[in-house]
Amino acid sequence: MLEKLGQTIKKATDKIANAIFLDKNLVDSIIRDLQRALIEADVNISLVKDLSDKIRKSALDERIKGIEKKEHIIKLLHDELVSILGDYKPLKLNTGQNRIILLGLYGAGKTTTIAKLGNWYAKRGKKVALVGLDVHRPAAREQLQQLGEKNNLNVFVNFEEKDAVKTWKKCEKEKKFKEYDLILIDTAGRHTLDKELVQEIKTLGKEIKPTETILVMPADIGQAAKKQASEFQEALKISGVIITRMDSTAKGGGALTACGETKAGVYFIATGEKINDIEEFNPENFLSRMLGMGDLQGLLEKIRLVTDEKQQEKMQKKLEEGKLSLEDVIEQVKSMNQIGGFDKIKNMIPGLGNAKIPEELIGAQEEKVKKWEHILKSMTPKERENPELLKKQTSRISRIAEGAGVNNSDVRALLKQYDMLQDMLKGGVDNMDLSQGFSQKQMQKMMKKFGKKKMMRFK
Amino acid sequence: MFSKLKEKLKNWTQEIIKKKVVDEVEKKAKEEIKEKKKEEKVKKKLTKEKKKEEKEQKKKKEEKEAEKIQEEIKPVETHELIIPEKKEFDEEERKIGEQIIEDIKKEEEKAGFFKKVFSKITKIKISEEEFEEYSKELEMLLIENNVALEVAEKITEMLKEKIVGKEFLKKEIEAQIKFAFEDIIREILIEPFDLIEKIKLKKAENKPYVILFCGINGTGKTTTIAKIAKLLNAEKLSCVFAAADTFRAASIEQIKQHGEKLNVKVIAHEYGADPAAVGFDAIKYAEKNKINVVLIDTAGRMYTEKNLMAQISKIAKICKPDTKIFLGESVTGNDATEQARNFNETIGIDGIILSKADIDEKGGTALSVGYITKKPILFLGTGQEYDKLESFDKEKFIEKLGLNKGEEN
Repeated sequence: MLEKLGQTIKKATDKIANAIFLDKNLVDSIIRDLQRALIEADVNISLVKDLSDKIRKSALDERIKGIEKKEHIIKLLHDELVSILGDYKPLKLNTGQNRIILLGLYGAGKTTTIAKLGNWYAKRGKKVALVGLDVHRPAAREQLQQLGEKNNLNVFVNFEEKDAVKTWKKCEKEKKFKEYDLILIDTAGRHTLDKELVQEIKTLGKEIKPTETILVMPADIGQAAKKQASEFQEALKISGVIITRMDSTAKGGGALTACGETKAGVYFIATGEKINDIEEFNPENFLSRMLGMGDLQGLLEKIRLVTDEKQQEKMQKKLEEGKLSLEDVIEQVKSMNQIGGFDKIKNMIPGLGNAKIPEELIGAQEEKVKKWEHILKSMTPKERENPELLKKQTSRISRIAEGAGVNNSDVRALLKQYDMLQDMLKGGVDNMDLSQGFSQKQMQKMMKKFGKKKMMRFK
Repeated sequence: MFSKLKEKLKNWTQEIIKKKVVDEVEKKAKEEIKEKKKEEKVKKKLTKEKKKEEKEQKKKKEEKEAEKIQEEIKPVETHELIIPEKKEFDEEERKIGEQIIEDIKKEEEKAGFFKKVFSKITKIKISEEEFEEYSKELEMLLIENNVALEVAEKITEMLKEKIVGKEFLKKEIEAQIKFAFEDIIREILIEPFDLIEKIKLKKAENKPYVILFCGINGTGKTTTIAKIAKLLNAEKLSCVFAAADTFRAASIEQIKQHGEKLNVKVIAHEYGADPAAVGFDAIKYAEKNKINVVLIDTAGRMYTEKNLMAQISKIAKICKPDTKIFLGESVTGNDATEQARNFNETIGIDGIILSKADIDEKGGTALSVGYITKKPILFLGTGQEYDKLESFDKEKFIEKLGLNKGEEN
């Protein structure tokens, strides 16, 4: 998603690093490239101008003892980018009941994001309830309710009430309401010019006394981002921002930098339609991922999100016993897909982000997994528990392939995957503790194996 | 919308004239001064030569006269000789005096020189370098107004072709640049077709007119469909909704609620059903019940999702819509080009509706998507109510830019 911008910035730093002498022409051409990339990422134009002025100035004038000028510029560029992205401000929950209001423009993704947030915190052991106060848009409350049902989240809605404030009062009176640690409140889409809706949210604010007021903004918003962010900030005192649609080719520059300016930190970014497509935003990690340096922290967080504790314990036991069935392999690969497939994972792994993996390959990978499930169903229980049988009696492979409606090679591919995982386990089961997540080294090792074999085979 | 652009564009053209004229005046002034200096030098040379000649002539004369005198010495007395010499001296003095007066006159001319030159320059040529200097500004201006970088670059390039190296009358330069700019905008924005007219034509054939809506998540497809239904209602055209967004939670309920309010039948399957089949059923329903228009609502989809794009092209293949409308947001930045391009490449859209135009006063997105797809913008969504749908008026849009020919300056 951010590869292009990342590549340009990386190229710029490489150019600086490799230059024998930083003359004006070189600096100018680097700055021009940077400007283009940033503008294309919808970064606010005055910010782009400031940034380029700063770099030009330090490249041509400043002298700092002890550090080479090139290093100084690269560091400056990095620092500036981090500073326009804003500080790292994770959303912190207090003890007692937290009340978080989400608001934003129409169609920014508030309702979808509420469900994702609810799921995020539910997986982290919080008691979460969603409250639907969007009384204006048709079926907004139904949407929230359906999302809640699908993801086992409690939802408070009132289909009769046509006033948001009254709805809230009714919800608050319900007995169970006080039991929840976290109340996530969905509101109608609005823009700041609509006085009625601004008034509504202000009264809601007084009634609810939210611990956080979060603005939801789409990543593809253009030069209007700054105005929107500052107007919402002014009218309603935003405490943080969530940026949606980060899965488009938009780089979110407008939204991200706008937030940097309002000093309301970005809490989360949302990267897709699925419930798990949300991640905490950390400017440093984000930047390093953008520049192709990987973001392991983000990946680990995601892994933690998709595999809940029970599943991890089960896996842990099996690993300790050194026994792995084919079902486990498929479970493993499926959870990979829940993270968002290979495409999303690769961006988070150091060194893989810039690796060119053909799109068909990623698609093929997902296709494969679908087939594997059929293959599994065509096996006898004995075969599932003991895949070595298949290698000894290859006629079984043909039988299974026919039963599952796949080619023999598909069955073999599954067996290879099994072998790979088995190999990996033999390598380092002792210090593999899944509840702590993978260590960086292990992850790299795993990915290297995973990536290498897969890529070679599909090429 | 575009108020800033209008003002800035004016500044820009004025600046270009001012600088141009001042440059030109300075240049011409310098040139003329140089020429005059040359002339003066030549004149001085000439006068020097003349003087020399005169002196020589004088010498010759003197010699001759001396001879004469010598000849006349005998008969004429010496005092007579002095008189002609004196006369000649006077003449020379007079000449020098004339020269001085001329010089003074020239000095006077120089003082009024700038005024003269200024009125003399009526034609201005803009060189490439000069344009480059200003084009950067224009580009930034467009980008600030939310035109995508790619499109902003294209527009300045087109403008460059139109004005660099051509002669303009000074008085007309601002207007000329404006016209050139206007022509470009006119070229980029395709004249919207009359949707209602088309529907009525199809109605005469007793066939339902099928419209497919597509776009990324949250652009306002369902809301816009409801607005279109209201518009059709006012034109006494009947319609049916196809709830082909079978993915998003409560999308079917949403369109059903709109249907109830507007008294429009909704054809829906359950969630997860094949959207193409929903569209197909709606068309069959319309054919059976003599309904004029079928409006197909599809799920918002990110164009980066291959499978979802394959799905929309399947819907288009099966429903064979008469018009495919791409829904974009007025607030979208550079990504608008990617969105429009991808949807256009996948299903070949016929028109564009931009929603949320009430939020954004910049309006650059219209240029971006119009340029990328070469398809007309049909409507602008300007609010949540059913009647907040404006037909896109190209002339009005150009007028808002402050570019139309009728307006003074």
